[in-house]
Amino acid sequence: MSREFIQTVGIPTIQVLIAVMVVPLGIAYLQLVERKVLGFMQVRLAPRRVGWHGLLQPIADALKLIIKEDVIPAKADRFLFTLAPILTVMPALAALAVIPIAGRPFILFGYEIRPWISDINVGLLYLLAISSLGIYGIILGGWASNSKYSMLGALRSSAQMISYEVPLGFALIGAMMLSGSASMVQIVEAQRTAGWWYVAPQFLGFFCYLISAIAETNRVPFDLPEAEAELVAGFHTEYSGMKFALFFLAEYTNMIVVSSIVTTLFFGGWLRPFPNVESIAWLENGWLVVGPLVAGLFAGWLLDQKMGTGLRLMFAGGVLGTVLGVALAATDVGGWASAQVPTLSGAFWFFLKVSFFLFLYIWLRGTYPRYRYDQLMSLGWKWLIPLSILNVVGTGLAVLVVS
Amino acid sequence: MKGDPAISRDPAAVLRDLLRQFLLLELWVGLWVTLKNQFRPHITVEYPKETVDLSPRFRGMPRLRYHPENGEELCIACHLCEVICPDDCIHIVSEKKPEGKGKRLVSFEINYERCCLCGLCVDPCPTKPLTAIYMSHDYELADTKREGFVAPLKALLDGSQQKEYSE
Repeated sequence: MSREFIQTVGIPTIQVLIAVMVVPLGIAYLQLVERKVLGFMQVRLAPRRVGWHGLLQPIADALKLIIKEDVIPAKADRFLFTLAPILTVMPALAALAVIPIAGRPFILFGYEIRPWISDINVGLLYLLAISSLGIYGIILGGWASNSKYSMLGALRSSAQMISYEVPLGFALIGAMMLSGSASMVQIVEAQRTAGWWYVAPQFLGFFCYLISAIAETNRVPFDLPEAEAELVAGFHTEYSGMKFALFFLAEYTNMIVVSSIVTTLFFGGWLRPFPNVESIAWLENGWLVVGPLVAGLFAGWLLDQKMGTGLRLMFAGGVLGTVLGVALAATDVGGWASAQVPTLSGAFWFFLKVSFFLFLYIWLRGTYPRYRYDQLMSLGWKWLIPLSILNVVGTGLAVLVVS
Repeated sequence: MKGDPAISRDPAAVLRDLLRQFLLLELWVGLWVTLKNQFRPHITVEYPKETVDLSPRFRGMPRLRYHPENGEELCIACHLCEVICPDDCIHIVSEKKPEGKGKRLVSFEINYERCCLCGLCVDPCPTKPLTAIYMSHDYELADTKREGFVAPLKALLDGSQQKEYSE
């Protein structure tokens, strides 16, 4: 095999495999984090039985879903019923392809490895197209189940997604106009040149996007398609076992994708805060925090085990580790900053921002009640669409005036 | 409320309300509440492993008492609890004592499938100062067989053994 072949085909294939395998694992733990955070918000203990503080709970859940009987209702359309979860999960995973994790490629064994799978010049358009495909799976799943709850859930879902696709798209256009490109990498680079994250000039766009994205991923407070109090479980009422797991996977992958898009378009992707201010260049070393943080947590945990102090020392160790890490990054001991590891630095900031938005999703779920159907529609059509159009017009005018 | 002519509102209040709505103030307040709650200590317990403290007057399953001095059963087989029980879940068989006055128990059964834990059986119990039948702090009613719900005299006197749970 020629080097060129490995560079152009082999490495992207490996990257795809890593993405497709790592993301579900991450999602399993994202779900544990969600259950934990929701539990704490409701002043109760979250899963604790399987493993230490419930750390093996996702594995147990996954095992249960795999072993569970895969029921297909007698009156269901077997082909579409099986096709629907696949149709839902594939676009969700495919959307990960254009998301850049860090800025600069690095060299490994003489091969150039880019921290994104593909950087196409219509990245944003691709994302919009792909993310609106996912709805087919939901509609088909609801229809093929031949059940009234599934049908109603699917109907709601289609109405909701069609309504919110419009402000979603409009909200992204602002960032595209400012950067003059639809490539995800170019958009982040444009933010570096501009010297600020696009959330500042595009706050309205960000706001509209965030709300529409929550509606688009069917999460609380817009989770009408699976409103359990009215519709049992909405479009996936009849699904069990692995097929249900696929729907589940798709929902959480979409959450990650949407958080990544927000991060990339409005929060500077892999850039540190204020990417042009030289005096805080040490923030590039932010990833140095991870080592002391993990070490501090682990040491604190070991001491906790010995002294029976619950988790207090672990918490203290985490705080100490963070302080130490920040100090390490700020004072640049050992010349880590001059070593310049842009990939690690970028990945750190990217994942930090994405984690914040994932937490925001859970936070909103722990806080807000579900919208009523007509409220959902009026919010979408009467507020978000005009606001996002206003944002597009305003941004256009501003770009025109400045140039 | 909104648009009600009966309530005249001064412009400052209207402006304040408008600002509250526009800045989504209520939503932020809600988010702040859930954020704070995360750091409060939990109030639920991991039930089989740890249990909550019961109040002294907690009404668990009705049980029988031993005589505090001679260790025999305190019950004098007067059948009053059997009579008052609204669920007819107490079943007593008694016989005349071979020597001396009064009766003694042959068997005393409570069917916990029927018992509604109302505590009415304790009220008419004539033994003083302690009632022979009392509402205990046992509350773990589950069993795998129907027969397991009918408690014989021995079980009633000794109460349920606290079950031990391991990791």
